[in-house]
Amino acid sequence: MSAEIRTSDGELLSVKLRKVERRRRATAFLLAAPLLFFIVFAYVIPIFQMLGRSVDNVQMNEFLSNTHEAMQSWDGSEMPGEDVTSTFFYELKGLVEEKNHGKIATRLNYEKGGFTSLIKKTSRKLKDFDENGNFLDQFIDVHKKWGDIEYWLALKRGTDAYHYRKYLTTFDYEQKFDGSIERIPEKKRINVTLWLRTIFVAAGVTFCCFLLAYPISHLLSVLPTRYSNLLMICVLLPFWTSLLVRTSSWMVLLQKQGVLNDTLVSLGIVADEGRLELMYNMTGTFIAMTQILLPFMVLPLYSVMKTIPPSLMRAATSMGATPFLAFRKIYFPLTYAGISAGSILVFVLSIGYYITPALVGGAKGTLISNRIAYHMQQSLDWSLATAMAAVLLVAVLIVYWLYNKIVGIDNMRLG
Amino acid sequence: MLRLTKIMSLAALLAAPTMATAAEVNVVSWGGAYTESQKLGYGDPYQEKSGVQVNWIDYSGGLSEVKAQVESGAITWDIIDVYARDTIIGCDEGLFVEFDFDNDFPAGVNGMKASDDFFAPMPSDCAVGNILYSWNYAYNTDNINFDGSYPDSMEDFFNPSKYPGVRSLYSSAMSNLEFALVADGVPGADVYDYMEENGIDRALDKLSELCNDPNGGCIFWSAGAQPPEQLVSGEAIMATGWNGRHFNAIVNEGSPMKMVWDGQILDYEYFVLVKGGPNQAEAMEALKYFTSSEGLAGSAKHIAYAPFRISSLDIIMADEPWFNSPQAGAVEIMPHMPTAPANTKNYVLMNPEWYADNNTDINDAWEAWKANL
Repeated sequence: MSAEIRTSDGELLSVKLRKVERRRRATAFLLAAPLLFFIVFAYVIPIFQMLGRSVDNVQMNEFLSNTHEAMQSWDGSEMPGEDVTSTFFYELKGLVEEKNHGKIATRLNYEKGGFTSLIKKTSRKLKDFDENGNFLDQFIDVHKKWGDIEYWLALKRGTDAYHYRKYLTTFDYEQKFDGSIERIPEKKRINVTLWLRTIFVAAGVTFCCFLLAYPISHLLSVLPTRYSNLLMICVLLPFWTSLLVRTSSWMVLLQKQGVLNDTLVSLGIVADEGRLELMYNMTGTFIAMTQILLPFMVLPLYSVMKTIPPSLMRAATSMGATPFLAFRKIYFPLTYAGISAGSILVFVLSIGYYITPALVGGAKGTLISNRIAYHMQQSLDWSLATAMAAVLLVAVLIVYWLYNKIVGIDNMRLG
Repeated sequence: MLRLTKIMSLAALLAAPTMATAAEVNVVSWGGAYTESQKLGYGDPYQEKSGVQVNWIDYSGGLSEVKAQVESGAITWDIIDVYARDTIIGCDEGLFVEFDFDNDFPAGVNGMKASDDFFAPMPSDCAVGNILYSWNYAYNTDNINFDGSYPDSMEDFFNPSKYPGVRSLYSSAMSNLEFALVADGVPGADVYDYMEENGIDRALDKLSELCNDPNGGCIFWSAGAQPPEQLVSGEAIMATGWNGRHFNAIVNEGSPMKMVWDGQILDYEYFVLVKGGPNQAEAMEALKYFTSSEGLAGSAKHIAYAPFRISSLDIIMADEPWFNSPQAGAVEIMPHMPTAPANTKNYVLMNPEWYADNNTDINDAWEAWKANL
């Protein structure tokens, strides 16, 4: 039996130790609490609120709750009966009085094109309706589109309180009115192309950054401090310039009559008619994005390389390894942590990039983030925008999970 | 004595913020030569007359920001310069104030009531007309690819074997579909009838021919100042754009450019008043002045866009040369207006309702086309 160790005030040492530990943890938590609250309230909650919009259609459901209910017993195989059309008439009338009919028009237009003018025209004519007559016929008299059953089906599913159709759109699928899920017509498929292109650009930029950053970081880590500081400033300089200024500078350099082409022509390397197409294509996107994201690769690599003792390489060569073998077997494996940290940073940042590719990338410069921005800013279809954003978020989380599986997050070195 | 100075400066410090928050109105518009014309034409005169400070903010279109402002209740924009389509969508969403048109806006100097003095009916109850502008194309007269012959029709724009060189197009579907159909032989007045059929596919095929032609090729612009820049730098040989921006480059900057009016798209531009803003009352007063006969005529002194009011045109015609160029001096502006008879031989009138109705379909088809170029 082991003797119980007690402190000078007679308490059990293990208990005392736990108390101290708890106090220390509480202090640490209190120190971090402001940041934690800030992140939760300014970041996590708004993000989830925003993501909720991708499935949320409660407002429409409330605007047209009676119509929605009346439509539940309608199977959609033939035109809706008078119970549905009359309910819709009175509800629309109420919405017009409250001036909310415009809102349902835009929402329904996402379900089926043409609803904007349909609702508007119908709203203007509601006062001419004979409330004892046949409502469906009167609707069709106002606008022949009401005779197309698809508009009624769109009205039915457009008033569901929740839906997942935006996620289908994200991957170029659509739900037909009979419930079947199909790919959308080829001429309108856009999102999958953009997803693949986004991943291709992100992976390519990451690789270019790696190729360029590796030698620079090595040089930085072996140079004497006074030179390496100067070089470091050169690497960091892009950080201190605004993104738009940097992108515009690349446009000045790369365009057909730009500095680079002019120099090549005056040196006689390319002919005046054969000026290189360096902008408004993928080349431009890669050049500009690589330069902008380069520091994110250099910094982690540098911090890792700085800690590798030069004696290791000397020891390897003294034992007979060629410089290349020593690099491959000793130096390179030691920099894995930096490579993976840099790669994940650059990849995640470039997957969400859109201003630079849009400016220098020409027709091929549209990435998935441009579509998100378009639906946020132009079409105002925020639920589709948030569905895409949610998928993007999941994609980033998967990359992070893979990274953790393969490398282990504890091995990440950011500087 | 020293103490008195201290107290006075303290008082001045305290007073300063109250003075700064005196009436001001934030007006949001498209920037560049256009905003400049609005500022000089009616912004500054109104500021002088009323003492209300008019601030100009640049944007590149779209309603997301004002929607976010209204939803969060932190409204800073008072007046916005928008496309017809956006007055419809914004009015439907309840973002803008609905006008009682003839009571809210003054009659013209010719005595006509406002709704008669404006050229066309408003696309929604929230809109008040501002200008008539045009989408047309311009080319660089110094470009070596022109061998003594220059383009003069929309067909020429789509004919890269006759005029080889890269074309610059607007980055979204608007204007491009119309131009393509006109170049394909559809009369300007019938463009939207064809759109209802298979016009979008037909237009995109025509555009594919141009952009995939080894002699042709396409780049895209998104800000109004870009087309003249791309023409001057030689990045493009022809570029579609807004006539006022082309005119500005030609007259004020002396760029070697010429506009082609065949197949031009006439479009209206509008002001809207944001609902629930802190300066709504002041903004309404400012808007009355902006869109008065003198106000709208004033902006035409500085840019080649036609004022929306008939009475404003009367003012201009009575006083030609009306345009005031800092470089070229006084210039007769009427022949350069998109509405001038010589410029309207074959034109398309923009149909915002078609865009509002088919927004999703048009945009998906356009972006898919662009992505597969």
